[in-house]
Amino acid sequence: MNSPFIKTYPVDQSKLSLGEQKVLKKLIAAAQLVSPLYEAQKNQIDGASFYPSDASRQELEQAAKKNPAILSPYTFVKRNHAGKLAVVPYSQKFKKELKKIAVLVKEAAAESHDQAFKDYLQARAEDLLKDNFDRSNALWLQASHSKIGCVIGPFDRDLDPLFFQKRSYKAYVGVLDERQTQKMEGFRTMILASQRKYFPGVKKAPISQVKIRVEDTAVLAGSDADSLFVSDNLPSSADLYLIKKHGMISTVFKPVIEQRFSDWIFPIFEKLFPQDFQKRYPREELAKAFLLVSTFVEICHSLLRYYDAASRLQDFFPYFDEAYTEIFGIKVSELLFLKGALNERELEAITLVEICQGVYYLAFAKERPHLHSFATGYAAFFDFLFDEKALEKDEKGFHLDFRRTFIIVDRFTHIFEYYLSSATRDEAKEFIGRFRPEEMLERFTFQVRKVSGKSRGG
Amino acid sequence: MENKFYLTKEGADKIQKEYTKLLEFRQLKTKDEMPSLLHSEEINPEYLLFQEDMSLLETRIAEYENILNNIEIIKPPEKEKCHIVHFGARVTVDLDGEIDEFTIVGTLEADPMHKRISNESPIGKALMGAKVGDTVIPQTSMVRKECRVLKIHYQP
Repeated sequence: MNSPFIKTYPVDQSKLSLGEQKVLKKLIAAAQLVSPLYEAQKNQIDGASFYPSDASRQELEQAAKKNPAILSPYTFVKRNHAGKLAVVPYSQKFKKELKKIAVLVKEAAAESHDQAFKDYLQARAEDLLKDNFDRSNALWLQASHSKIGCVIGPFDRDLDPLFFQKRSYKAYVGVLDERQTQKMEGFRTMILASQRKYFPGVKKAPISQVKIRVEDTAVLAGSDADSLFVSDNLPSSADLYLIKKHGMISTVFKPVIEQRFSDWIFPIFEKLFPQDFQKRYPREELAKAFLLVSTFVEICHSLLRYYDAASRLQDFFPYFDEAYTEIFGIKVSELLFLKGALNERELEAITLVEICQGVYYLAFAKERPHLHSFATGYAAFFDFLFDEKALEKDEKGFHLDFRRTFIIVDRFTHIFEYYLSSATRDEAKEFIGRFRPEEMLERFTFQVRKVSGKSRGG
Repeated sequence: MENKFYLTKEGADKIQKEYTKLLEFRQLKTKDEMPSLLHSEEINPEYLLFQEDMSLLETRIAEYENILNNIEIIKPPEKEKCHIVHFGARVTVDLDGEIDEFTIVGTLEADPMHKRISNESPIGKALMGAKVGDTVIPQTSMVRKECRVLKIHYQP
């Protein structure tokens, strides 16, 4: 199937049994069928959205008081013949397509000899037709060690800028990299072990159990293929009640990380910094740092959850949730360095790849609106760095003062923590309105878009 | 002067066992006839391989001997010094606003993932000799974080 919303990657299947290979094949086929569903959801956005184009925020909120399904994560909202707002559940709108996906997932379940994974797949096949994924999400958490990984369903909220509520379809299938998973589990334990202090009176969600899976991804489809995010958490951060009860699984997409590093992060590094500085950081060290920090960031989501953050900040929630967690990844790396779990060069490399990743998001903010929140957060971070001369430019390129950068990281995380944990939507809007990714990109005067033509951003 | 290796009794026993195993392995390797230098008129590749293995083994044995000759067994401090951070101390700290707890050990036994922090790590170095209530700042060229000692405990 040829679609911009499907990305496939070669996977070494030599460690899989014949039965496992069959399971993988079925799940890859099922995942690819998610692409047209996502395409239909995304196309809605061009003209209207998940909601009628003439419906105001106030009208929708008012109508939702009588009919909560209007703000359900799994419905489209339409006007009926009388002009009133009505809903169409995903399972109804995509009935035919979802049945086909469910059949393939059930066939994969029948082939699997891993009981926990089998149970999960069976439940997921049923849930796809019901618009309720609680049971299968809970079973996925029990199958966290399965050799094959698979998530299919509507879970991402990025396509709904109005309420950040409606879920878009996504799928990923991969094979567990046991060695890397074990290594990252060690870091997970360290990162989550210490007790953070919080602002008084905040509604902090308890730190959940986080299971890590580093996967050799075979396929990404739907929202994941569109965004090309390097990792994913399930259950979604919107389903805090599930996370509280069962924990969550952070899946790291190894080939996507490698691809983003090769196509973007390293070329940006080469453009940004002077040649003599570049020589100090071999490509392999930076690639390793990118895998590390990408995993840390997923784990850190668990430290930064507040029960009321999404409902309080509404459409401004992602601005504080996403880029903040990325920068928090640097802060966590500093602490790991102090405890001897990372060395000085690893900490430097992590900071450098995060800087390059910020430029990467700035470059894509305009053409990919749902990445605007990441880009705006990074624009704020860069604003702080330039103001305090932690990042400066001369004729040779950019110069990063690590010591000053870490002071800025502290200040930045403190401020963002306040907004995420306590601020009102109006305060958040006023603060975030000061930072413009397009203007910040201009300060990086080289042509980021010419760095590589190999892949799209995300 | 040789560097001291600070180890718990269990850690030292483990090193001794591994050293004994290496000696037994060397004995086993050299018991049989060694490959000859020449095979026909060419240098025997098996001889080269054997020499390479032996060289690695001897290096490893020398490393263990160096450790065993310079071991300092970590003992709980005298009662009047239990309020000071030393090897073996389980320390509760406020590190940059995060409450954390770990044990200070020598480099050979360090395992930060399991809360065993080396005395040579930035935080370990800074904490050695500190008392409850002290605030220390790890000396690094890049990261500056305050670390306040909240509690010190030694396993009897």
